Amino acid sequence: MKLTTKLFSLLALVMIFFAFTSNDEGDRLIGVWQPSSGKAKVKIEKIGTKYYGKIVWLKEPNDPTTQKSKVDKNNPDESMRNVPLKGYRMLKDFVYAGKEQWNEGTIYDPENGSTYSCEINMKDKNTLEIRGYIGVKALGRTDVWKRLELKTN
Amino acid sequence: MKNIILLFFILSSTQLFAQTDSTITNQEEEDFSIYENATPTDGKNITFCNPKIFDLSPARFVSIAWDHQLPYEMNLSSQGNYAKGATIEKPNETANVNSTGGVRLNANIPVISSNKFLWQLGGNFWKTNYTFDDVIGPTNDASLIQNISKNGLTTFGLNSTVFKPLNEKQFLLAQFAADLSGNYALDNPQGLRFLRYSASILWGKRPNDRKQWAVGLTRTYRTGELNYVPILLFNWTAPSRKWGTEILFPARAHVRKNFNARSLLLGGYELDGQSYRIGGILTTSNKELELRRGELRFRMEYQRQISGFIWGSIQAGYRYNFSYRADNTEKDGSDFFRGFVGKQNYAMINELSGALYFNIGIHLVSP
Repeated sequence: MKLTTKLFSLLALVMIFFAFTSNDEGDRLIGVWQPSSGKAKVKIEKIGTKYYGKIVWLKEPNDPTTQKSKVDKNNPDESMRNVPLKGYRMLKDFVYAGKEQWNEGTIYDPENGSTYSCEINMKDKNTLEIRGYIGVKALGRTDVWKRLELKTN
Repeated sequence: MKNIILLFFILSSTQLFAQTDSTITNQEEEDFSIYENATPTDGKNITFCNPKIFDLSPARFVSIAWDHQLPYEMNLSSQGNYAKGATIEKPNETANVNSTGGVRLNANIPVISSNKFLWQLGGNFWKTNYTFDDVIGPTNDASLIQNISKNGLTTFGLNSTVFKPLNEKQFLLAQFAADLSGNYALDNPQGLRFLRYSASILWGKRPNDRKQWAVGLTRTYRTGELNYVPILLFNWTAPSRKWGTEILFPARAHVRKNFNARSLLLGGYELDGQSYRIGGILTTSNKELELRRGELRFRMEYQRQISGFIWGSIQAGYRYNFSYRADNTEKDGSDFFRGFVGKQNYAMINELSGALYFNIGIHLVSP
């Protein structure tokens, strides 16, 4: 085997190692979660090395005034105002920082069209503390999210 | 070799292209119905009611505003003993007030802010300066006009707010404030014995995301003098989410028109007042003089987002003078309660004509 082949093989193995083993601890965030308000369910998944959460269920799926599926009508970007909320990625760009904490992400509030800096702390395997804040963590609010399990009947 | 290179590119592309996120996900790929019956793994999440409802004007972390009253007339009595309801027969001092105004700084920082408990600490600094024309009356230390024209009126205060949701529908709200108000200079503040304390406690319900009401009791200086009154909170947003109310009666009541999530208009009134210890004034008794300023402000206020969490507001309206009377209080700083039924006399009965006013501010608002 030539040297270049050996190097590429080694590189490929390293890539495979990182692709399948890195951030395994962080993957504990993956799952379906419910905010304390009970008004939505959010599925957190991993895309690449980062974690994202999308709305998969709404307690009130239709807009009471239009009776149509809720859309992101408060988004400051006008081009987004017809995007359905179901499937909307409201948690973005979270990176596992160790010690049961994910940070560097943002959380979007469809109620007012605002995006906040966000930090996630896992209190136990079924409980998250999600803190949205403005600039500094002191200027924010913490919500408790609970893990949901899918019924397979 | 080719396979290894191919594998390398496949893995690389998975890692690299997966970083590119889109807020919109492809809904056709996913069957959302499977999430309908998803249930908590480890006990139900407890839902607590939120301190806000939909579309309320945003709460403010930090606020800087300028408040300005246009010209009006001021007629002041001499110091003496005046029964409730008495009017000035012959003013001791008169003046045209050219302008009344100054900066108003407020800050409210959350100490604890979670879904089950909210505790905020805040501070405020309000300055009111006067400029006078055509002053008629004494120019000695017994003159109230002379005394308030030097340093104006200043309020420095601290406050604390606690919101405790009891469950999904009910909540308790408590507020406490301590204000140091007077004609003191910033480099020579008056003693802390002249602090005036206000407090409110309310119990209420939030039946849904568009309605919130509460009843309670308050100790307040909003009419200038100490009072204890029942209070009613009623915040409501119409199903169209275009209209609503923001009421904390009797302190303020507004109808709200929401243009969108980033701009709104309020119309209504607010009671605005403090009790100011007038230091340095010559009194006829061996007591302090305390100016009971209470204003009823009928107004419109337009608020809109400037950028991100920075909002601006402009307010204009008519200021009706509710009280500019004065009382004699004790040297030890203690105050007394007259309320609606007390018979204590006033030390001064002063009259201000109404005035147009405006207030312009910029605010860092809360999530």
